[in-house]
Amino acid sequence: MAGSLTRRGALGGAAVVLASCGSSDPAPRTGPRPGSGAGLLNSILALEHAAVAAYATGAGLLRGEALRYAREIAGEEREHVRRLEELIRGLGGTTARPRSPDEYARSFPRLHDGGGALRFARDLEERLVRAYLQALPKLPDAELRRAAAEIAADEGAHLAVINVLRGGPAAPQPFVTGTL
Amino acid sequence: MSGVAAPTRRGLLLLGAGAAPLALAAAAEAAPASDLDILERLLARERRLEAAYEAALRRGALGEALALALRDQEREHAHGIELSMAARGRRAPGAPEPDPALAASLRSRDAFARYASGLEGRAVRAYVNALASLRDTRLLQPLGAILASEAQHEVALRRFLGEPLLGV
Repeated sequence: MAGSLTRRGALGGAAVVLASCGSSDPAPRTGPRPGSGAGLLNSILALEHAAVAAYATGAGLLRGEALRYAREIAGEEREHVRRLEELIRGLGGTTARPRSPDEYARSFPRLHDGGGALRFARDLEERLVRAYLQALPKLPDAELRRAAAEIAADEGAHLAVINVLRGGPAAPQPFVTGTL
Repeated sequence: MSGVAAPTRRGLLLLGAGAAPLALAAAAEAAPASDLDILERLLARERRLEAAYEAALRRGALGEALALALRDQEREHAHGIELSMAARGRRAPGAPEPDPALAASLRSRDAFARYASGLEGRAVRAYVNALASLRDTRLLQPLGAILASEAQHEVALRRFLGEPLLGV
């Protein structure tokens, strides 16, 4: 990773990193039937694990209100992890495990200050919103869609909080697609 | 990430337009709501929100920039749902009855923001229920994008109220 961090570099780097540690990871071999949604949920679970690790990394650069919200959001992401694990197990699947802190640290962009940490957080939340919205049409069961929708609303709210912490409006767009 | 492309603005506005018209079953008492019925209810919520922010703008019951932004976003949501209904063969109904609680809320900025926050919270729950119930999967991503927007509106209103942004 380059030593200096431009905005474009940070976002591009974050996208690459998250793609590699998130939903493009192969889903573990599990027992559920194809199309049950377990594999898809496992891909999102890997992204949630990465988000938890990223907030832990970014916390070291944040202060005051930003730090408090980063911790609160990380706590909610951990709740999402637990909920996804429960759903995947309910489908007969084996849950994706988080990587080690060292593996995440090596794969995340180098962050130098709170601004960089918040840009990385924004990129994370955008990707999480997108992952849940893209999952909706593929989940075969109403209750799985309900869970994905509830978590997508949480991620939309997280994104709004990050927007505010970065000095912008909470809700800059009428359609929150998770596309930067 | 999956290979599904992010929805385009046009796609969002059409909300899955181009689908063959839904065959509306006879309204048996226990039958679940049709997709068109669900869309119609969501539209009514969007119009109620739009009317609320419009009233707040006229009465100065919310910061002007915030009221304007939220009104315009609700209007875009409503427009997208109207187009989607039209593409499925149903004309959007007329404006809903004014909410009696709106007038009372306009007496102070805090009262209005709390009223609007309540509307937004109920809209979020309505979209979650809709996303669990809709049969036409082409509607799910664009309506999900509106769901996330309403969740952001709640944050914007909490900020206006000086409350914790993520609520309790």
